[in-house]
Amino acid sequence: MAAIVDPDEDLVRRVGQGDPAAIQAMVVRKLPRMLALAQRMLGDPVEAEDVAQEAMLRAWKQAPRWQPGKARFDTWLHRVGLNLCYDRLRRRREVPTEAPPDRPDPGPAPDRGLLASELGQRVHRALSALPDRQREAIVLCHYQELGNIEAASLMSVSVEALESLLSRGRRSLRRTLSDLAPGADA
Amino acid sequence: MTGLGRIDMDEATLIALADIWGGDLRRWPRAEAEAARCWCAANPDRAERALFAARQLDAALEASPLPDVSIALRDRVIASATEAGLKVRSGWPALKKLFWIGGVGWAAAACAGVVFGTTLGQRIATERQADVVLEQALIEGLDDTAVLG
Repeated sequence: MAAIVDPDEDLVRRVGQGDPAAIQAMVVRKLPRMLALAQRMLGDPVEAEDVAQEAMLRAWKQAPRWQPGKARFDTWLHRVGLNLCYDRLRRRREVPTEAPPDRPDPGPAPDRGLLASELGQRVHRALSALPDRQREAIVLCHYQELGNIEAASLMSVSVEALESLLSRGRRSLRRTLSDLAPGADA
Repeated sequence: MTGLGRIDMDEATLIALADIWGGDLRRWPRAEAEAARCWCAANPDRAERALFAARQLDAALEASPLPDVSIALRDRVIASATEAGLKVRSGWPALKKLFWIGGVGWAAAACAGVVFGTTLGQRIATERQADVVLEQALIEGLDDTAVLG
């Protein structure tokens, strides 16, 4: 079995040694990814921040005992983040709420036009309306840019099952967003 | 379509794969992407049409903005490193070590200066005394006992 090449290996080692610069670098590298993952999985910015913070806390605890070569740190961190998201999604199902919370409207800003904001809201709603597993597949493969084997492993499904989830998810999004993506609803 | 083995690419396969992985070949599994690149290079117009729908959806998906990391969240996460038990090294020990090494260096230099100065002083005093003896010896009426005591 080929050794796993982990681009984060050196950074994790330095974090485990308590290097303040490495801790800062890890925050810059991983916190936005964890926040994006949680935001797209949960659709709630407050919960997303909680999940991202908890995932990073677990990263700090794991770093001193991280054994390189067994897995990529980013994959491990995604597993942590996903599990935290699953917990919250499960709790939502157990305690039904009226509707998933909307992303707060940041309003028109000089660098973020109203049109872009509206488009973002529509895509956000379309993603939120997908079944959990289809959304998860699209978030991992499209937004988090994980490979097929990595994403399938994180979701505990075969690559074929992942492909099926992706295909159904994208088809559903094409229908929902057909006016944004003319020609994509064919 | 597991990314293993050789892929026989044609327009239908390209569309089916784009339906799964989107219109950007960089997101595709390696073997499929390689086969698709070859086919697209040989059939650019057909490839453009085959990937159009998937690329349109990709562009729409990109409209979903990345959430901003607030300064408050960043600060909380950095602070949590210490709470998690990470022994965050401060910059001071290294600096103190540097000062300590520098201090030892300065002390050694000062000692060397004192030793050198004392030795030089004694030598000058001896030479000066010899000069006085010689000078006095040239003066008549005085003997060495008068000069040296």
